[in-house]
Amino acid sequence: MRVALAEDGALFREGLLMLLQAAGHEVVGSVADGDALVGLLAGEDADVAILDIRMPPEPDGGLVTAERLRERHPDMGLLFLSHYAESHYLMRILEIGTEAVGYRLKEKVGSVEVLSDTLDRIVGGEIVIEPVLAKRLVERPRGDRKEVVDTLSPRELDVLRLMAEGRSNNGIAAQLFVTPKAVEKHIANIFSKLGLQEDGSEHHRRVLAVLTYLRSQHDRR
Amino acid sequence: MTSESAPSADDPSGAGLPGPVAPDRPAALSCRAERDQWNRRLRLQRQLHDGASLRISALVPQLGVVRTRQPDLDASIEGLQDQLHTVLQELREIARAIYPPVLDEAGLGPALRDHVEHTDVVVRVDVGPERFGPAVEGAAYFAVIGCLAALPSGSPPVEVRARREGGALVLALSGVPPRLAPAVLDHVCGLGGEVTTTGGPEVGTIEVEIPCA
Repeated sequence: MRVALAEDGALFREGLLMLLQAAGHEVVGSVADGDALVGLLAGEDADVAILDIRMPPEPDGGLVTAERLRERHPDMGLLFLSHYAESHYLMRILEIGTEAVGYRLKEKVGSVEVLSDTLDRIVGGEIVIEPVLAKRLVERPRGDRKEVVDTLSPRELDVLRLMAEGRSNNGIAAQLFVTPKAVEKHIANIFSKLGLQEDGSEHHRRVLAVLTYLRSQHDRR
Repeated sequence: MTSESAPSADDPSGAGLPGPVAPDRPAALSCRAERDQWNRRLRLQRQLHDGASLRISALVPQLGVVRTRQPDLDASIEGLQDQLHTVLQELREIARAIYPPVLDEAGLGPALRDHVEHTDVVVRVDVGPERFGPAVEGAAYFAVIGCLAALPSGSPPVEVRARREGGALVLALSGVPPRLAPAVLDHVCGLGGEVTTTGGPEVGTIEVEIPCA
């Protein structure tokens, strides 16, 4: 596939560039900061852009650059690489998009197999999250929420499934032939059954709910 | 500077009773020296990230390329890559203990929320997005996590609130034993911070006020 790369660490950038080429991908450009990436992609098509979170424009150029890219090229996949796997960054990434995005540690995409698998899944529309972080989030604060997902009513489960598809409240309402107000009520019940605290933003809790659901589906397979 | 390890529950000031807690160190570090310490910690953490950690990360894709050229060495090189990941995880732990990168980049709320993902006790974090500078945020963060680490497992849920009030950061830890207050004070007194307690003996509130300039 066609890949664009932005990373300010020259050594890592060169290494990743070689690995992408070894995996048979076409690297349409390899640059050191977010503005250069936006410029590059104005003239080149790519299936996916790989961005370092912490690069110019400081402090987290990868995130602000990704926002611009998602706006200009909504179908382009985004893979964020970082030295840290923190839920704070994951929430910011999921605010940029909940489809065709990935967040992985720099040193965990070190083989052609893992790198290509990560890129394939992103281009296929999935959310790819560093496994250790996804696990921590879904299990927070403790215990296993799978059984909690089973306590949701069939209608709440429908709502949660549509949330996981990235639909807005209005989109969910249209799909289920109910009012947006009814959807809000279902979502409030879902949050409360999943024990998601009110201190997070609405979006934060929404994402945690979706992750809980995705995880419960994953374990059922 | 005080240690960020779990504070002792010693109570030389008799803070079991509600009210202000007096420092047990008569000669607290001057505020400026304390601020310098926090700035130094922050620089060390950044240096660790920008130097050693980035160099080690860069080895991983390079080794990945070697794997494709030397298929017979694939398993051995994968083992080396796993070891580099372990080294990086250890460096991340050290960076977090020096000065958490999320605290530096995003502030007290995100840093505490990330921290409580790992704690046994359920902690509700109600902290706004305001920033207070490296010294105040560092002292407040380590005071809170020290206090949480000192709670016995099975403790009831705790709430952490922080707000800017006038020229100060006001932080309240609710649901904790007030006897932990002296250890909290150790973290903040160098910056002119004050600690008061209410309630108790097992479930009370420790309130901390740290001037912001």
